[in-house]
Amino acid sequence: MTTLISQLLLEIVFGTIVFLHITKKNFSMVLAYALQSLALSAILLGSFFETGNMPLMLIALFELLVKVFLAPIFFIKLIQKHEVPFSTSTYLNTPLSLIVIAALTFIAYSKKFLPLSSIVASHQALLALALAAMFLSFFLIINRKGALSQIIGILSLENSIVAFSIFAGLEQSPALQLGIIFAIIIWLIIARVFMSMIYKHFGSLDITAMKHLTD
Amino acid sequence: MELFIIFAAFIVATIISSLVKQRGVVEFFSVAASAIGLFGALRVALQVAATGSYTPVALLHVDALGAIVLLVIFCVGFVAAIYSIAYLRMETSKNIIGVTRVRQYFILFNLFSLAMLLAVTANNPIFAWIAIEATTLSTAFLISFYDKPSAIEAAWKYLIINSIGLLLGFFGTLMYFTSVIVSDGGAFMSWQALAASAAGLDSLIAKIAFIFVLIGYGTKVGFVPMHTWKPDAYSKAPNPIGALLSGALLPIAFITLLKFKSITDAVVGPQFSQQLLIVFGTLSIVVAALIMLNAKNYKRLLAYSSIENAGLMALGFGFGGMGAVAAILHLIYHSLVKGVMFFSSGNLLLKYHSAKIGKIKGALSVLPTTSVLFIAGFLVVTGVPPFGMFVTKLQILSAGIQAHPAVSIIALAFMALIFISFLKHSTAMFFGEPPKDVVHGEGGIWLLIPPVLLLAVIIMLSFYIPPFLASLLHDAAALY
Repeated sequence: MTTLISQLLLEIVFGTIVFLHITKKNFSMVLAYALQSLALSAILLGSFFETGNMPLMLIALFELLVKVFLAPIFFIKLIQKHEVPFSTSTYLNTPLSLIVIAALTFIAYSKKFLPLSSIVASHQALLALALAAMFLSFFLIINRKGALSQIIGILSLENSIVAFSIFAGLEQSPALQLGIIFAIIIWLIIARVFMSMIYKHFGSLDITAMKHLTD
Repeated sequence: MELFIIFAAFIVATIISSLVKQRGVVEFFSVAASAIGLFGALRVALQVAATGSYTPVALLHVDALGAIVLLVIFCVGFVAAIYSIAYLRMETSKNIIGVTRVRQYFILFNLFSLAMLLAVTANNPIFAWIAIEATTLSTAFLISFYDKPSAIEAAWKYLIINSIGLLLGFFGTLMYFTSVIVSDGGAFMSWQALAASAAGLDSLIAKIAFIFVLIGYGTKVGFVPMHTWKPDAYSKAPNPIGALLSGALLPIAFITLLKFKSITDAVVGPQFSQQLLIVFGTLSIVVAALIMLNAKNYKRLLAYSSIENAGLMALGFGFGGMGAVAAILHLIYHSLVKGVMFFSSGNLLLKYHSAKIGKIKGALSVLPTTSVLFIAGFLVVTGVPPFGMFVTKLQILSAGIQAHPAVSIIALAFMALIFISFLKHSTAMFFGEPPKDVVHGEGGIWLLIPPVLLLAVIIMLSFYIPPFLASLLHDAAALY
């Protein structure tokens, strides 16, 4: 896969995370995550076409199945079941969030993180972008008040780490990659159950409503 | 062979707990699996003491520290399984939970044990990461077991914080693989192979990787400031699970961290990781001590005590030398004593129906044996002589007094504060006039045998360390 296509796909991953920060609709968030995962699956498929390694294709297809179809269906059903079309607010308002996003992206490209982004010299720009995606995902988790947003933030962080590992040449053995995806499936199911439990007990997916642990 | 038998035992126990509805059968198989786990761990420990390591297949490996932790996990696990039966029977008799919940409890209990076994024995950092992630997933529902808003909140906090921590740990773990990009990328790398290729790791990347791993697995250990999930999770989980979270899960995350420490030390020297451990260790002791002084909930008090002891272990490994040996021994004592304290506090909870310190009065006359056990636990955990923890605390501080006198003095001062806190809270709980509506008398013999057993082991280990354990301690300290 050419660097240009890789860059485009990674930019889609990065762009979706910026979008996740801005959007207020849960449905849009889920679609953005699906698009992000689709781009990641395409990056993985690109690795397969480069190496011809069949297990890599299997991993890419598995990623596609779990993250592009299964997870979004899970979330959309949750949104429909509990009728929560809109995400709860953020701790920082949109302009401030955008300033933080810009600052985090700048930090990812700064000299401080050069040792990480230059693991593979030819992929320096890609690795810096993947690093920025990681920082932004982390910020998404802590800036959002909604349980669904936090879950999608964690999944975005995982996608960003996977993207980083691909461009840094740190892919693990196929068996381990399958193990990781399997762990994510279980994690997704558990997170989904917990979101329903939160809704049942607190009447919303707003985590600021949870104030029972004060003693 | 032993490991496969333990794996099989827990898989069978999980399947039976899922399929069979008879409570007695579920309980029997769960205790039997834990007993097999303890027996198998003992056999593995004896083999490791004799030969240095145990590798039944390339995928699984147990070194000296792994053998110690395995033994600790199944010692606490076996006793927790026995205690769980009596504890949950008491809760069902009081209509706190139904019989279906008991089955769910044992399914998760067995899965948790299985995940812990895998985490200790996995011979690959990513494989170990998956297993540790599995411990988070299996325990999340145990924390929300009582299905109350506060329990859901604690479990959610646990799930989110630990998932973020583990993802950061995962990123750090991947960084260690940069040393093998060219030669062996994508292959299954054992811990030993990764350590052997440490020379190829860039020193700056090694430092960044260790920071990520320290934050990641440090979240699971409960170092301050990543500790915030711990008091909530410990206080909301059923008491036997609190014992396992503190006595078994904490050591697992700790030894995973130490495995990365040894690789990092090979690249950049020991000073870098030691300084970080000293910083996190001191912070954990200080913050825990300050909060414990005004604690209002005795289960949260135990959680902060775990944070303090994790900090002390970090100091031991940070100081190195004799400090590391003492830290490993401290890890053993801590796991055992937390079993004693969580089980005895479980008895208090069953009797008084409250975990609030202010609501427990005159426990010594209401539950005399339980009270003695809790007080003994408090004396052990605060390092009162002649218990072994006095010696390990003394050794850790002695190891640091020359190179880090200020840290040692701060740690000593705050440890004294923790003793005062425990004394203050224990005096309030165990003396005075008990409430009129509380019926005097212990809940049953099986609620007392488990903590008594653990206390007996602590007392024995305070005065006599079996030769095989001494050999494991020596080997483990040399490795880390």
